[in-house]
Amino acid sequence: MSDDEHHFESSDAGASKTYPQQAGNIRKGGHIVIKGRPCKVVEVSTSKTGKHGHAKCHFVAIDIFTSKKLEDIVPSSHNCDVPHVNRVDYQLIDISEDGFVSLLTDNGSTKDDLKLPTDEALLTQLKNGFDEGKDIVVSVMSAMGEEQMCALKEVGPK
Amino acid sequence: MLGFSNGSGGGGVGAEDLAQFQATMRAIELACSYIQINSNPVAAEATILSLHQSPQPYKACRYILEHSQVANARFQAAAAIREAAIREWSFLATDDKGGLINFCLGYVMQHANSSEGYVLSKVSSVAAQLMKRGWLEFTPAEKEVFFYQINQAILGSRGLDVQFIGVNFLESLVSEFSPSTSSAMGLPREFHENCRKSLEQNFLKTFYQWAQDAALSVTNKIIESHSSVPEVKVCNATLRLMHQILNWEFRYSKGGTRASINVFSDGIRADNAFSRKTECVIVQPGASWCDVLLSSSHVGWLINIYSSVRQKFDLEGYWLDCPVAVSARKLIVQLCSLAGKIFPSDNGQMQEQHLLLLLSGVLPWIDPPDVISKEIEEGRSGSEMIDGCRALLSIGTVTTPVVFDKLLRSLRPFGTLTLLSMLMGEVVKVLMANSTDEETWSYEARDILLDTWTTLLASMDGSGGNARLPPEGMHAAASLFSLIVESELKVASASATTEDDADCLASVSAMDERLGSYALIARAAVDATIPFLAKLFSDHVARLHQGRGTVDPTETLEEVYSLLLIIGHVLADEGEGETALVPDALQSHFVDVVEANNHPVVVLSSSIIKFAEQCLDAEMRSSIFSPRLMEAVIWFLARWSFTYLMLVEDCNLGSNQLQSLRSRACLFTFFNEHNQGKFVLDIIVRISLTSLMSYPGEKDLQDSWRNLANAFANDKTLFLLNSVSQRSLAQTLVLSAYGMRSSDASNQYVKDLMAHMTSSLVDLSNNSDLKNLAQQPAIIMLVSCVLERLRGAASATEPRTQRAIYEMGLSVMNPVLRLLEVYKHESAVIYLLLKFVVDWVDGQLSYLEAHETAVVINFCMSLLQIYSSHNIGKISLSLSSTLLNEAKTEKYKDLRALLQLLSHLCSKDMVDFSSDSIETQSTNISQVVYFGLHIITPLITLELLKYPKLCFDYFSLISHMLEVYPETLAQLNNDAFSHVVTTVDFGLHQQDVDIVTMCLRALKALASYHYKEKNTGNSGLGSHAAGHTDPNGVFHEGILSRFLRTLLHFLLFEDYSTDLVSTAADALFPLILCEPNLYQGLGNELIEKQANPNFKTRLANALQVLTTSNQLSSSLDRLNYPRFRKNLNNFLVEVRGFLKTR
Repeated sequence: MSDDEHHFESSDAGASKTYPQQAGNIRKGGHIVIKGRPCKVVEVSTSKTGKHGHAKCHFVAIDIFTSKKLEDIVPSSHNCDVPHVNRVDYQLIDISEDGFVSLLTDNGSTKDDLKLPTDEALLTQLKNGFDEGKDIVVSVMSAMGEEQMCALKEVGPK
Repeated sequence: MLGFSNGSGGGGVGAEDLAQFQATMRAIELACSYIQINSNPVAAEATILSLHQSPQPYKACRYILEHSQVANARFQAAAAIREAAIREWSFLATDDKGGLINFCLGYVMQHANSSEGYVLSKVSSVAAQLMKRGWLEFTPAEKEVFFYQINQAILGSRGLDVQFIGVNFLESLVSEFSPSTSSAMGLPREFHENCRKSLEQNFLKTFYQWAQDAALSVTNKIIESHSSVPEVKVCNATLRLMHQILNWEFRYSKGGTRASINVFSDGIRADNAFSRKTECVIVQPGASWCDVLLSSSHVGWLINIYSSVRQKFDLEGYWLDCPVAVSARKLIVQLCSLAGKIFPSDNGQMQEQHLLLLLSGVLPWIDPPDVISKEIEEGRSGSEMIDGCRALLSIGTVTTPVVFDKLLRSLRPFGTLTLLSMLMGEVVKVLMANSTDEETWSYEARDILLDTWTTLLASMDGSGGNARLPPEGMHAAASLFSLIVESELKVASASATTEDDADCLASVSAMDERLGSYALIARAAVDATIPFLAKLFSDHVARLHQGRGTVDPTETLEEVYSLLLIIGHVLADEGEGETALVPDALQSHFVDVVEANNHPVVVLSSSIIKFAEQCLDAEMRSSIFSPRLMEAVIWFLARWSFTYLMLVEDCNLGSNQLQSLRSRACLFTFFNEHNQGKFVLDIIVRISLTSLMSYPGEKDLQDSWRNLANAFANDKTLFLLNSVSQRSLAQTLVLSAYGMRSSDASNQYVKDLMAHMTSSLVDLSNNSDLKNLAQQPAIIMLVSCVLERLRGAASATEPRTQRAIYEMGLSVMNPVLRLLEVYKHESAVIYLLLKFVVDWVDGQLSYLEAHETAVVINFCMSLLQIYSSHNIGKISLSLSSTLLNEAKTEKYKDLRALLQLLSHLCSKDMVDFSSDSIETQSTNISQVVYFGLHIITPLITLELLKYPKLCFDYFSLISHMLEVYPETLAQLNNDAFSHVVTTVDFGLHQQDVDIVTMCLRALKALASYHYKEKNTGNSGLGSHAAGHTDPNGVFHEGILSRFLRTLLHFLLFEDYSTDLVSTAADALFPLILCEPNLYQGLGNELIEKQANPNFKTRLANALQVLTTSNQLSSSLDRLNYPRFRKNLNNFLVEVRGFLKTR
């Protein structure tokens, strides 16, 4: 594993894991870091302290990896950390017995360190599709050093 | 015979029947008691339902009504009679119909003293409904017989209880005949309309007289007795009946010009256009009612009885709220709004007398205001006082301000307006004193009184400024206004420190409405109110400056905030897209002012602008101009400048007779181009810029600014070139190009404006590292902003700037497609992309020449293809249900945008301004849209169609397509075709009437296309219609056959709104013509299924009549459709009753 992590660092040399952005500019559907976790914002509301005070943003967000709900309140002119979320599509080559999948990268090498989804229904769908010989593309989302499968799609000839 | 026609009852009932009735009764009683204790309610309901649905349950129900000890069971039996009789009406014998009604009437009168009132009123309403059902078939003699009974009962010869029952029955009857309260009977609207006409013309007045007689017969007893007597109940019922009759929407007595019934026009009265919180219906029963309501001293009697009983019970506070008092007051208030032809044309004398009489009766409820309000605050009921306010509102609605004011002068030394002002003043004082959040009487009274002012003043406001209140009235308005302002400011300063949770849209619009009414009051007395406001404003500003840095300014800030809102409303009207004129009252007053600097409006406006200017100073900004205050400042400037700034002479001039006024000229020219206008404009622009730079993240504020910028769009200004990120800003800026002299200049301007945005998109998309770069939040942000701006610009397309905006779109076509690829996981960006394209296509398409159209359409097709290749078969793997739902919603929004795109493409065939002739049209739009449908229909799942808006868009597109281009549907491949058909089938089973209507229209289009093509020897829908045999040898019938089945089943067995019948007829007719054999077969099947031979022949006849009567022929022309509609209506009335019986 440590090799892979190193690889990740080097390919993004110089790039930070997060970016600053003004709280007032973060919209619903965007990303935000709350308590060190990368999240997707599902609700933004603004409030004021007293009528002639300044606005604050109240974020409700969901951890994109663990699906836990997190909340934060930030003055609208302050900066927030926004995670750099990257999504890459890979062709599914194999599903191994030990709960990992084997994926084909753009440059022709393979990536074998990704876990299968834990959700039972999706797992069956993936396995069935694979067993039927369909071409399956999986999207892998990565942010702040973590990665996870986030979507799958059957392609291939109609 | 159903055992009802002979009144003597169950003599002929056999022992066998008797046992069965008893069993039914017990079952129902049991079910009722189960429901009451909530044990197994589903089964119990099923038992009761089976009684409702059983064929001819009348005898059993009668047995239950007469013998059951359980009141609920009797109630259910009555309900079952209603249900069954309405259903089976068309094949009941005439005797039985009358028998049922007689039984119900006889039952209520016999049991008039029963304590279970709800059973009686149910039975009585059943009688009323059945009477209405048979209304058009009964002969006058038959009705005579029914009403003789009722009249006898009402006259009181059979005792008080029966009298009450009789009145009560008439009440249900009237409410049954009034369209808004009638119950559904599965009949066309025409039926209800005919019943209403008949009742209004022949019976309503008689009923009212009966009610009067009944009331007279008990009045003496009530007045003489010293405690409450049973007569009160009857009296209350008669008052209620009278109130209800006057509530009737009279239509046929306004001169009888309307010969035929137009069931669709609602006959909306031309009251005033102001929407009001308090309901005030004008009563216009027509000339024939004069004897009953006016010359018979009816009003005097009513006032008399109310006041004498009121006097008697003066000490007992509860009396004001007891039902009879409430009904009497309601009737009095209602009589106040009597108007129309009932009064002879005698210059309104009779009406004035009538109103005077009423006012004298109402006066003790509200006068003297201070005493009354004190009494109420000490615990007396406020209902009488509120009814008094309502009476004033009613009188105000039917009179002019001058007549209104004059009324009171014969009774008091002052006019009615003064009373109104005093009354409202008291109410406002009470409101100020206890500013709790509770809804109290004073809130309600304030709203009603405010409505009264609005009603009175609104009629003046629109009359060109000539109408004025009498001087005393103006004085009253002025003093009231200052009280109102005082109270509003007090409320404001009290709420300054509270968190404003309640700042929701509803309360804002309520506030806006209220301020609008205040402004009317202020404008009724501008001579006093404008200087008053000016002084108040400068006082507050001075207070702000004095306390700067030492005192917490919050309260004062909030007061200034409120003050700005009030002044804004007084000085200017809301434009709502139109150019708002300077209010008439402000134009026509201040006649003696010759110098602009002294004009009170100018003084007030200038002082506010001067105050606003101070926000340019950073130090002032931080100490005084809070975001909220800035919001009000900007709001005020936007509203004000829309009306006053840079008035173009002659175009904004109101009515001609005012032109000579010098004061008006002062006001008009002061802020125009040659005078202070430029200077003020400059200030305002600088304030705007400051507000944008210095208050980032304050969303509300920027919104107000947008309004301001919009107000500028019509001016020839180019001040705003350093653009800030916002769609509306781009829109405004592009719109401002509209004001330029030549179209070349405007196009050049738009080009310059948008060039750096389009080039930034092009540069980005050409970047070799786009894939990595694009994911950076800063870049996402940039792209979103640029797209928003492009969208704003696109939505501002005007003929003048169309070229430039077309080129703008053209230059970003490729970048858009690349970004669509790159951001496929960033749904927010995708949505912006799609929305930009949708708006751009919408704005452009109708102007484009053929070759340009082709380019745009190719672009849209690639867009659709890329989008669908990313999304077909995609499954989101998130564990969080919230995120999954979000994903679904995002998808829904995308698809909706795509559907809109296709709809816009469709419009090219309808609206086309291009110079090409139709022949050269190279692109076939329908092909393109079908191709588009091909691409996106697989994405539209039945699951997604559950989103109402998407569903609506989808079906309106489909029905439009099928109606306009049915031929291309035949060319779709099997998958796409069957997908469209499946969705139509799905749509037919939706609850939403609009959706079903669109599906029916689509069906009509399909079937009539096929039929017409067949008749000319073409194949029409070809194999889709013919059906096919699959490899396993199973025959699949064609789609038209399938829909014929579905539609027939729908019409005969399902519940739907009667509004759908006509559209369904239009679809059914061509379907029958397409598939005559299947129709015959289905008809025979239906007939075979009927066990009852009587029904069999009826059904066979009805089916026969459906396709033959009314000279229906087998061609699809304009004459045949309405004929078939009529036939189908009759057919359904005839057979649905027994077909639905199980």
